[in-house]
Amino acid sequence: MENTGTVTAKNIMIKCNSIFKTFESKDDENEVIRNFNLEIKENEFVVLFGPGQCGKTTVLNIIAGLEQSTKGEVFVNGRKITEPGPDRGMVYQTTALFPWLTVMGNVEFGPKSLGVKKKERRERAQYYIDLVGLKGFEKHYPIKLSGGMQQRVGIARAYCNNPPVILLDEPFGALDAQTRYLMEEELGRICTKEKRTIVFVTNNIEEAIYLADRIVLLTNCPTTIRKEYIIGLPRPRDYTSNDFLTLRKEITSEMDETI
Amino acid sequence: MKRVFTKEKVQMALWGIIGLMSILLIWQISVMVTSLGRIMPEPIEVVKSFLISSIKPVGRYTLLQHMLFSLLRVFVGFSLSGVSGIILGIAMGRSKTINSIASPIFNMVRPIPGVAWIPLAILWFGIGETTKYFIIFMGGFAQVVVNTMSGARKVDKTLVGAARMLGANKRQEFFRIVIPSSVPYIFAGLQISLSTSWMAVLAAEMVSSYKGSGWIIITGMNNGNTVQILVGMISIGVVGLGLANLMRIIERRLCSWRIQGQ
Amino acid sequence: MSKTIKFKLISVFSFISFLIIWQICTDVLHLLPPYSLPSPIKTFSTFFVKISSTSPDGSVLPIHILASLQVALLGFLSGAVLGTPLGITMAWNKKFDMMVKPVFDLLRTIPPIGWIPIMILLLGIGTQAKVALIFVSSFVPCVINSYTGIKQTSHIHFWVGQTFGATNSQLLRKIAIPTALPFIFTGLRVSLSVAWMSLVAAELLAATRGLGYMIQIARTIGRADIIVLGMLLIGSIGGVLSILLEYVENKFVKGGV
Repeated sequence: MENTGTVTAKNIMIKCNSIFKTFESKDDENEVIRNFNLEIKENEFVVLFGPGQCGKTTVLNIIAGLEQSTKGEVFVNGRKITEPGPDRGMVYQTTALFPWLTVMGNVEFGPKSLGVKKKERRERAQYYIDLVGLKGFEKHYPIKLSGGMQQRVGIARAYCNNPPVILLDEPFGALDAQTRYLMEEELGRICTKEKRTIVFVTNNIEEAIYLADRIVLLTNCPTTIRKEYIIGLPRPRDYTSNDFLTLRKEITSEMDETI
Repeated sequence: MKRVFTKEKVQMALWGIIGLMSILLIWQISVMVTSLGRIMPEPIEVVKSFLISSIKPVGRYTLLQHMLFSLLRVFVGFSLSGVSGIILGIAMGRSKTINSIASPIFNMVRPIPGVAWIPLAILWFGIGETTKYFIIFMGGFAQVVVNTMSGARKVDKTLVGAARMLGANKRQEFFRIVIPSSVPYIFAGLQISLSTSWMAVLAAEMVSSYKGSGWIIITGMNNGNTVQILVGMISIGVVGLGLANLMRIIERRLCSWRIQGQ
Repeated sequence: MSKTIKFKLISVFSFISFLIIWQICTDVLHLLPPYSLPSPIKTFSTFFVKISSTSPDGSVLPIHILASLQVALLGFLSGAVLGTPLGITMAWNKKFDMMVKPVFDLLRTIPPIGWIPIMILLLGIGTQAKVALIFVSSFVPCVINSYTGIKQTSHIHFWVGQTFGATNSQLLRKIAIPTALPFIFTGLRVSLSVAWMSLVAAELLAATRGLGYMIQIARTIGRADIIVLGMLLIGSIGGVLSILLEYVENKFVKGGV
């Protein structure tokens, strides 16, 4: 990528400062994250990629402020994170849509919470509903939508507050293969149109290479960074190109050693 | 095209009619042949009396008026128990402190059935309307509290997190997440509570009243009038069924977001 | 750890202060006359007196309790023993289902308490009428729940059974009934609480013994202490019965729901 190497303090959006996380139960201690350090630049698409049960989601939740680290801190836009807030949008593994609200109600939830006037928030929500391709479904309840459509609503909802950072936690993990490809394409398209800093958690290597500017390969529990890959392939990417496949082989074999 | 009379449905109706007819037949025969006839009327007599008593008064009022008196009592008592039960249930479900203050007293009162309050209620409030409201209240209150409490506790943590990520403050989190996600639970509680209330009014009216559905059947008993009892029972059943269906319709409206398909 | 202890302490404190306030309102300040609300101490002492005293209703407390329990359990057990198999048969046999279901849809609309007058008229004010009443009250929920339970069995489970060559009765015994067990127990729980409530109502109206009768007589002579004692006993016996049933359920239902 052309802007690698020009890292200045100014355009660093997310900074994880030696994060540790231990879950304590009555007679057991379980270390999930050990000394995790990461800097993410503004408008960079970072994929946290790692084996099944490692602490990827926990890292994301700590950045979100939904969980607290045992040691170390996270800064977003220079501000220390202590709790969840509207400066970070979040898209969940399972669709965490509000089932009692329509598509429109879900997407405009954020602006409504922040007190945006009805006319303005409707317009904004409509823009993002159109962007994710759900025009005409505004009045539907989530239960009537397919899994892929539900995740589109989730993405629109996260974008609608206009946060500089979007966090995605295995958003396509529950979808079937066909829908998954389609959604990856869609997300790629949305990301080029609406520039944001993105942290994307997945355990699917294709998805990671297809979407990422940078892949951060994580180790098994306790999680820490094993290796980083800058993905310089031109967009839109081709799953079957030689470069893609070479990269895939390289990262996969590296991961096999991890496990 | 949807066919209304499928083969299945016709068959079901046919067998249903056969079932009901044979019950009536057994009734008719046993009244005619056995000594049961001395206290049990023929089915046709009950139907006749049912039709007559909708015009001619039973006691001071017609059948319909008696039912309306009971319904009015249920309406007052049930509204009171519903509103206060929801408030207490949410408070107990959301605040551990309130829960630990209220639960020992609540758990002492909860297993006492509504009807067991009748004697005390009469001592406290006399035999007027207040007594009936109180008994209906006590009959339905606990169920609403229990259901609302479990609804308020089972709020999906992911949804709360999602709301806070979208900028909702504590107040918005309560009114826009906790309340709507408890609604289905609250409704289940209200449904049970309404049918218990309908039963409680019956008991209250049987013990002391000069009108209402319970009065009809208890005077029937005191005068040895089986026809009147049966007419009363049928009306009570019909009204109870109506109330249950009404709640179901309201629920379908309010919780339409939970229903899959078109 | 310390948090749970804190909330436990709040509970204990709350309950004790509730009793103290009650005591102060009645025995100390006399805000309420003793014929409308007895003090907790009075209720407690009445409990010990009533164990051996037959006044004012002709029987000592243990006799009342036993009388109520006997009727309730007899009616409940017969309702459960007949109702559950009927519900299962209804769900298993299609023609029978179509014939009996409408009758049941009619019967279930009548609240158990509504059966009291006709039972008393037909069978008198003795034990028979009450057993019959409790029988009806518990019979209906048992039928409905075991019926629903059997109907819940998933087709896939049946298919699996059929591929392994299970006979019709094996399908019922090994697949449908285990699926229905949690529902059947829900039915039993509902039945038990309804039965206990209808019994109290019946004893209020016509009886010569039993807890409901005891509080009804106490009302006519203004003995609020006996009423409150009776209510607390009715509540706690009902509670204990449902805990016992839950214990049985945990023994029987395996694999979770």
